[in-house]
Amino acid sequence: MKPILIRSVTILHPASKFNNKLADVLIKDGKIAGLSDKIIAKDDVVVIDGKGKYLSPGFLDLNANFGEPGFETKEDLISGAAAAIAGGFTGVAIQPSTNPVIHSKSEVSYIVNRTKDFITDVYPVGSISHNREGKDLAELYDMRLSGAIAFSDGTRPVTDSGLMSRALLYAKGFDGLVFSFPEDSSIAGKGKMNEGTVSTYLGMKGIPALAEEVHISRDLYLAEYNDCPIHFSTISSAGSVDLIRKAKKKGLKVSCDVAAHHLTLTDEALTEFDSNYKVKPPLRASSDVLALLKGIKDGTIDAIVSQHTPHEIEFKEVEFEIASFGIIGLQTVLPLLVKAGLPPENIVEKLAIKPREILNLPVPSFEEGEDANLVLFDLDSEWIFDNTTNRSKASNSPFFNQSLKGKVFLACNKAQVFNNF
Amino acid sequence: MAENNQKLSTRHLLGIKDLSENDIQLIFETADTFKDVLNRPIKKVPSLRDITIANIFFENSTRTRLSFELAQKRLSADTVNFAASSSSVSKGETLIDTVNNILAMKVDMVVMRHPYPGAGVFLSKKVNAQIVNAGDGAHEHPTQALLDAFSIREKYGDVSGKKVAIIGDILHSRVALSNILCLQKLGAEVMVCGPTTLIPKYIKSLGVRVEFDLLKALNWCDVANMLRIQLERQDIKYFPSLREYSMLYGLNKQILDSLDKEITVMHPGPINRGVEITSDVADSKQSIILDQVENGVAIRMAVLYLLAGQRD
Repeated sequence: MKPILIRSVTILHPASKFNNKLADVLIKDGKIAGLSDKIIAKDDVVVIDGKGKYLSPGFLDLNANFGEPGFETKEDLISGAAAAIAGGFTGVAIQPSTNPVIHSKSEVSYIVNRTKDFITDVYPVGSISHNREGKDLAELYDMRLSGAIAFSDGTRPVTDSGLMSRALLYAKGFDGLVFSFPEDSSIAGKGKMNEGTVSTYLGMKGIPALAEEVHISRDLYLAEYNDCPIHFSTISSAGSVDLIRKAKKKGLKVSCDVAAHHLTLTDEALTEFDSNYKVKPPLRASSDVLALLKGIKDGTIDAIVSQHTPHEIEFKEVEFEIASFGIIGLQTVLPLLVKAGLPPENIVEKLAIKPREILNLPVPSFEEGEDANLVLFDLDSEWIFDNTTNRSKASNSPFFNQSLKGKVFLACNKAQVFNNF
Repeated sequence: MAENNQKLSTRHLLGIKDLSENDIQLIFETADTFKDVLNRPIKKVPSLRDITIANIFFENSTRTRLSFELAQKRLSADTVNFAASSSSVSKGETLIDTVNNILAMKVDMVVMRHPYPGAGVFLSKKVNAQIVNAGDGAHEHPTQALLDAFSIREKYGDVSGKKVAIIGDILHSRVALSNILCLQKLGAEVMVCGPTTLIPKYIKSLGVRVEFDLLKALNWCDVANMLRIQLERQDIKYFPSLREYSMLYGLNKQILDSLDKEITVMHPGPINRGVEITSDVADSKQSIILDQVENGVAIRMAVLYLLAGQRD
């Protein structure tokens, strides 16, 4: 790889003395070879104009679903990682929604070994329960030793309170972190969308925000009682933001994330029964979106995730009722945050800094001589998300064939470069 | 035949949502003409000769299907019936494939009943045929709402200003939603009444009144539309027993006679006698249940006739 010199780029890295300042950055042999006001270009250097662009540590996604093993027709590790790096993610934590489930050392090792040379670091999340059945604990410690970054049953909520309590407590013994997907299934019932004025108008059974909030309340009690950290995945309602805000104030070790699509879309999008808006948790009301944005601003919400959920067309081009939940998102997170009006430093905090703090991973340094793990992006460039730009095997996105604002130009990790100029 | 060059504003009939007040009035005026036809010795007109209509029912129905079929036959359309169970991705044929297979045999129009809300809307975007929604989950049942409003108009001369109470399982009812939308478009006031567990939390956003007391609802209304309790549509129990339901929301002659005015009783059928209404109410002179059935054919003739005029 030829050395790359990025000229006059705005650095976004809270630990760097150049944070929010213009600088020249030289990347050579996978390292940050220079970072200063002015670097003289040598002959063999590829010079990139960084004006109007931002350089930050590579993004890290806490919540993506790749189909391998088992559902390779939806996504495999190669295509999933390609979508990740195109979205600026140099790290991605993948859910155990596979077949077999990532629930023991062998599946964890498989993912780790298959992806070790990828430009994107792929971190398997092991399941909490054996086979994600919500009955018995999986071998959390053994998975942790093999490389499981955290534990989650994906979008299957752990309904058994005792099991959740034991999972939190057990994982605490070796500093493991448990992700909770909050949904009380008995309240959510067979709902397919948010319960509200729109579901009433469409004659559809709704999933009330109550289902999420009851579950969060339960898990906050469990975490407090056991004195354990807990992380909530993809919260979606105003009430959830309130509950977590209060818990943080009280001193609980709680963190949470939100999916990017929940910051820009509401249940109003469902009036045409388009299954590309069918996600779980469901798209909520505009008052919820406002509360989520407020939660991002005041720090209640720590991270933003893609909740990338690829499906074949056969699972989406059917009646809304039987269509699968989920949309692909790795390449649209940045544009959605631009659309939601998040300032660039906020984007970096929620995509690059906080996710690593939650997982206890070091934030890539921008000091000279350190490994280059970074992303170059802007907020203004328009591009079309279509068959030519999409890196995922799937195309189940409501933003497909649309023009989006906010582009990833370059990403670098493990001495490899993704170039999107 | 209806002497007008007026046209509907829609190519399909997916729901009352897509109809303007003018559309509804046009359907009513056309249905008036067809009702006359139905009372002649020769009940058949050649209006839809050369048009083939497929009645595709993914859910059991006897009377709606019969009503549509009769309407089609009176209009001289060719009809085929197809009853199927709805299938999921994992098993069997998809909805689009099923319908496209039928359309490949040169069918012009599809009348579809389906257990899932929005199935007609979905299909209308994916296949090249006119779709008439004969009920999609708890979403809409537009021809039922049209015939209900038509029957009220027949009884009172006008729907505007009338007070209509829809009583029963509102949560699972496509009849309720379509009726609410249709009656409101025609200027009626609508109230819903039923067990608290079967009234959607956000129903007031549709601009209806909500009442949990049957007697109060009956005292308020001019027309009571008693919905059929459809236990098969409930995935979990929303009330303990039919017995208890009829104790709270069953309409009997005693209650009807205790009101200080004479209200009209409707029911979309089939009646669970002794559950929603007792036999003496169903058979009383205040009941217009059989008029509804008769009007159903006229309304469906009007809808099919007007939609046929929309073909490209």
